[in-house]
Amino acid sequence: MSVPQSLLASLVSATEEVFDTMLAIPLEARPPVTGPLEVPANVVATVAFAGHRKGLVVVYSSLAAARRITSCMLGIPLGDVNGEVPDAMGEIANMVAGTFRNRLAAVEPASDISVPTVTIGTDFSMLYSSAVHRSRCPFDMQGDALSVELILTGDQAAAH
Amino acid sequence: MRFLVVDDSSTMRRIIINTLNKLGYTECREAGNGREGLDQLTANPVDIVITDWNMPEMSGVEFARAIRSNDATKGVPILMVTTNAAEGDIVEALKAGVSNYVVKPFTPATIKEKIEAVLKA
Repeated sequence: MSVPQSLLASLVSATEEVFDTMLAIPLEARPPVTGPLEVPANVVATVAFAGHRKGLVVVYSSLAAARRITSCMLGIPLGDVNGEVPDAMGEIANMVAGTFRNRLAAVEPASDISVPTVTIGTDFSMLYSSAVHRSRCPFDMQGDALSVELILTGDQAAAH
Repeated sequence: MRFLVVDDSSTMRRIIINTLNKLGYTECREAGNGREGLDQLTANPVDIVITDWNMPEMSGVEFARAIRSNDATKGVPILMVTTNAAEGDIVEALKAGVSNYVVKPFTPATIKEKIEAVLKA
């Protein structure tokens, strides 16, 4: 089950705004998809939201892309990135989910967002209940692949 | 100009301090939540507090209320930097004593403009 295109458009523009403003990295959005990731993600940053809508915003990237994002965010050379990746990717997910939530709050009751959680590894899968609605927005980040997924649960899932 | 930057994200503290440094403000201290921020502020006064909203131990809104309720700190300008930008959020923050508001993501120009605004107020 996929989610409404209007919500995905808000998620795409929120993601582009965060990367453009905080990292000065332009993203090239690809058409939204459902199904498994084309490129394995070693870094998964998740922020939940609840209220008028309930669900998750999930940012997927390779470790190399996450290190590049961290380097740009902190203004440090790529080779100096060490333990900062989890916090930086959590902050990216927080800003994407927060910006997305603010856009929706302009036209409907606001939802609250959670603190981010970040998973880093090489052999894991992200599994959800089959009852959720989910769609993933892939981006090209100047050669690195990045995806942002919207997962909705409950009766409000398919509402525009 | 002395700043206290309060955020549970070390990344965001670093981004804000980097931004302040680029704007010429080099005297910056940091804390990981409102409770730590209050302790620092009481021990070492600053000219502006920049704080996040969602933090463990003591949120940014609770931190702002605590600052305003203490005679020694109640006059310190408070700039809140957060993703919470719904109208109700901003009203709640201003009622708690926040002087001005920056929504993430932000540019250095926005931080500069808001600092100048709270200093003029």
